[in-house]
Amino acid sequence: MLRVAEALSLARSQERAALVPYVMVDRGRTRRLRSVVQAALEAGASALELGFPFSDPIADGPILQATADRALSNGTDWSDLVESVEIASGILPTAVMSYANPFWRHGFDHSLPSIARAGASGLIVPDLSLEEARPWIAATGRHSIDLVLLGAPGVSETRTVRLARATRGFLYLVARYGTTGTALSAERIDLTPIVRTAHRAAPRTPVLIGFGIKDPATAAQALAYGADGVIVASALEERFVRSFAPATVRRVLGPIARALRARGA
Amino acid sequence: MPRRFGPYGGAFVPETLVPALSELEREWRAARRDPTFRAELRRLSRTLAGRPTPLYFARRLTERARGAQIWLKREDLVHGGAHKFNNALGQGLLAKRMGKPRLIAETGAGQHGVATAMIGAALGLETEVYMGEVDMERQRPNVLRMELLGAKVRPVTSGQRTLKDAINAALRDWISSVRTTHYLLGSAVGPHPFPSIVAEFQSVIGREIAVQSRAAFGRLPDLAVACVGGGSNAIGTFHPLRRTEVEFLGVEAGGARLRGAGAASLSHGRPGILHGAYSYVLQDREGQISETESISAGLDYAGVGPEHAWLKDSGRARYIAVHDDDALRAFHWLARDEGILPALEPAHALFAAVAEARRRPPHQRIVVTLSGRGDKDLEVVGRAARR
Repeated sequence: MLRVAEALSLARSQERAALVPYVMVDRGRTRRLRSVVQAALEAGASALELGFPFSDPIADGPILQATADRALSNGTDWSDLVESVEIASGILPTAVMSYANPFWRHGFDHSLPSIARAGASGLIVPDLSLEEARPWIAATGRHSIDLVLLGAPGVSETRTVRLARATRGFLYLVARYGTTGTALSAERIDLTPIVRTAHRAAPRTPVLIGFGIKDPATAAQALAYGADGVIVASALEERFVRSFAPATVRRVLGPIARALRARGA
Repeated sequence: MPRRFGPYGGAFVPETLVPALSELEREWRAARRDPTFRAELRRLSRTLAGRPTPLYFARRLTERARGAQIWLKREDLVHGGAHKFNNALGQGLLAKRMGKPRLIAETGAGQHGVATAMIGAALGLETEVYMGEVDMERQRPNVLRMELLGAKVRPVTSGQRTLKDAINAALRDWISSVRTTHYLLGSAVGPHPFPSIVAEFQSVIGREIAVQSRAAFGRLPDLAVACVGGGSNAIGTFHPLRRTEVEFLGVEAGGARLRGAGAASLSHGRPGILHGAYSYVLQDREGQISETESISAGLDYAGVGPEHAWLKDSGRARYIAVHDDDALRAFHWLARDEGILPALEPAHALFAAVAEARRRPPHQRIVVTLSGRGDKDLEVVGRAARR
């Protein structure tokens, strides 16, 4: 299996826009996870972001908050994360998304090798700012996990340069002022200058846009900003509530994948 | 301004918030050197907040303890009925200086919400306060006060619907509104530079204690006692006295007897990352934040300010937990002995102070920070008395 970084670089070198769906780990879903990830692969996903639920997800809007609450009340714990990574990473290159505290609580010497052995090659921590990332970069490096940093609108150009150079695998660019979710943000922010800055600072590092990517139009807009791909989270989780199944994946990702291919062509 | 207190503190936040936190730190550094800002803060502290607050010798409470003298730092007499206004005033002026037209705040007991609503009205800033539904129910008078002061109270329905969840909601609002809004954080928690800013605005408590105790009994007290939820009145008491010989005792909420850890993060938690800072946190083995419980909404919080974490580890301060029933007992002592209705939060500190006084000789002096008045708690206390 390719690493997340390799899969995204490959897509980029072939001028394919990358599609990265997000699925939250939930003990109640493990049985169907394989078929759901398989459907994502078939729909054109390049990699997978596997979210670990946290009790206090400050960067998340109502949909992912509710998803996390359900997962936790189903008893989801570290063993479910490891099992889900094992399942998913056999099908798609897999990055884990988790708030800082669960990884910290389990200890880097336990948490990082444990997901690396299970097959994860990336880690995304939404509440880790660049200032706090140093020990995390060192520790993830030791366990051959790519620590993916997040960029955002409003961040200064010099800081975007530092983020683009420090991130591994790809730069996760947050599309807007706001939390995750499918609700329309009041304004559209032109991300072109940020993407351009990141590409100039780290020409080999793909930039993926997430937060609010929910349909062909928002995905195409992300590519118009110059991004190398998109991350789709809440739009999927919103529909997983009713049915955690391959058909849901096809319904959400199919049209987005087609839009991405059309842009690439 | 320290980013870390020993290993604690930092800024574990989404990048979206980093520009705002940097701007806040920049403005704060400029403001504290600016004579105009300082003069305005001093003027409003005196004419609006009602500072300085008195240091009161609790004679009959001392007689009850039959040991060291107990003195009360009367923060319950600050405008709004709690120490919270010290910080709301300072940060309100900072927000005005930064040109942010909107304030948001979280509140547990409602005292910080009331203080923010007051300064919002006084400075002409739009104000919205996030409050857990459970807390809105148990601190109803404060909800009404905030609304009368022109603030919008936003009920928080996620999680356990108390202070922790109100902070989550306020942080999420701020992530979306950061260019036009100042998050007026009410406790010495959260990402850098909040713990330092709040500590400095609250340090007026400890500075006054130093001056007033020298005037009243010719020296500094032997022991300073304060309750700790997030820890703002305690850090305001301890921080300016940290290079003296004064002993510090922080008192956390132990919750109901024979039931869990209450809300005592320093006594029963372990280091972790919550609300942007590395500090002691009540959490399970998986790193999920624990539910807390306490009779006092203002102490009902799973985390604690990072400076307290370092005061604990470095041995400079001691922290203990006091149970609900003991806090209630102390509430009644102060009401009957001194004619003062304390808030349930400092009632925890009062109980611990009386216990300390019993063990100490009469020539020793204990200062307790009476961080708020008890009007908001009458229903809760009444219900407990009927049980």
